[in-house]
Amino acid sequence: MTPSLTAQEAARWADRAGLPLARERHAVVAATADHIRAVVSTLRELDLGETAPGVLPAGWESADVAG
Amino acid sequence: MSPAELTVAEASAAVARREVSPVELTDAVLARLDAVDGTLHAYATVIAGTARASAAEAEREIAAGRYRGPLHGIPFGLKDLIDVAGLPTGAGSQVRQGHLADADSAVAARLSEAGAILVGKTHTHEFAYGLTTPQTRNAWDPGRIAGGSSGGSAVAVAAGTALFALGTDTGGSVRVPAALNGVVGLKPTYGLISRHGVVPLSWSLDHVGPITRTVADAALVLPALAGHDPRDPASLPGAAFRPEPREDLRGLRVGVPVNHYFEHVDPQVEAAVRAAIGRMEQLGARLVEVEIPYSGFVQATQWGLMVPEATAYHERTLRSSPELYAPDVRVLLEAGALIPAADHVRARRARSLMRQAWTELFERVDLIAAPATPMTAVPAGQESAPWPDGTVEAVSDAYVRLSAPANITGVPALTLPAGHDEAGLPIGLQLLGRALSESLLLSVGQVCEQALGRAGTVAPVAA
Repeated sequence: MTPSLTAQEAARWADRAGLPLARERHAVVAATADHIRAVVSTLRELDLGETAPGVLPAGWESADVAG
Repeated sequence: MSPAELTVAEASAAVARREVSPVELTDAVLARLDAVDGTLHAYATVIAGTARASAAEAEREIAAGRYRGPLHGIPFGLKDLIDVAGLPTGAGSQVRQGHLADADSAVAARLSEAGAILVGKTHTHEFAYGLTTPQTRNAWDPGRIAGGSSGGSAVAVAAGTALFALGTDTGGSVRVPAALNGVVGLKPTYGLISRHGVVPLSWSLDHVGPITRTVADAALVLPALAGHDPRDPASLPGAAFRPEPREDLRGLRVGVPVNHYFEHVDPQVEAAVRAAIGRMEQLGARLVEVEIPYSGFVQATQWGLMVPEATAYHERTLRSSPELYAPDVRVLLEAGALIPAADHVRARRARSLMRQAWTELFERVDLIAAPATPMTAVPAGQESAPWPDGTVEAVSDAYVRLSAPANITGVPALTLPAGHDEAGLPIGLQLLGRALSESLLLSVGQVCEQALGRAGTVAPVAA
């Protein structure tokens, strides 16, 4: 479970990411970011071992186009 | 019957035999557009004069013996994310006001070369970041959503205001509106069709694909679109498409998922799709139960890839004019700035695992059959879907759920009509195949549409 973001934290994080938010955006963006992070953080349960990103399985580029 | 109601295959044959001229076809489509688009709002821009001039030119070429092939003289629509030189690419957004494309996208250029007649640009959910396309109405019930994000393209094809159209698919945006409007949608293998000149949502998940009234039509349109393009970094070298007709499904191993694709699915959708799978078995297919790998991580991977990529693309305009985005899209883009890079990289690694596991899955089966969407088109404005076990799901999450695996893994996926629910709303059957198996997918899809019947009919839109 990811700890939830406060509106102030969302404002600070957005500033650090180079996207300053107007005050009235802080709460709604914090809530949406919390929801997204709650979903995305489930990937932490996955054992990724030595898996590298962006690797195509063998045969992808040479797959038989005729099916 | 109006020539606007012809399928691409029928119209193409009639044009080749000079029984119908491209001008007659285009006039019929424009007349139907005048009659129904005031209700449906499939189009953002209509270029009637240019379309008529292109049709006249096609007619002259064909009369002079310069027939270019099956799309010559065929009227079509393009999702308003796809550049056409001299036209605005509105992307459904105020952010793009005043935009004019200075060159054709790769797909617009290919269709122009094939002699197809552009009728106009079709509505998209803003920047393809949504599943409803609120500007557009469902072709079967104007009180319901078109689906998205290629809602305008699907409705135009369903309503007979285009013989085919192109959409883009990042999490189901071709297949969902196609299914909800009773037409055919193909999300091809990642890298098969160039995205050069198409506004991105998420580079690693975006695909361009055709929407047609029949699978046979998709097989006619795909060869014009497929092929290597060095301007798209994901474009596969040497990728092309060759049709492969077949009579039945003998010898075909069809995977029927025991998890994911039939969970939280409306009983009427499940019944129609299982009946279609039963029909495939009668036609000679061997059904094989399969377990979808990593199904519990599909949404996390989809979001972990898409959300930060979308924010990255919109970074500059999000800083300079955030108020120009619609509220639903703005908040997603802003929140995307708060997703840690570690979560994004984890999603990229998870995708590698999923791709490998799906590749192994396709050693046991030739294709997988499943519902395209868990439910038919919901009423406009409905935002959540309650399920019998008491859980409630956002409508957009529900529509993405059965589409996302093919975006993450990059495998081709086709939706075709598989009947209607009690309210008369279309239900889609989804067929998924191994990478670059479009030929098999489309030939099997054609056998299915013959067996399931009613292929190619336009929606009963009140003119």
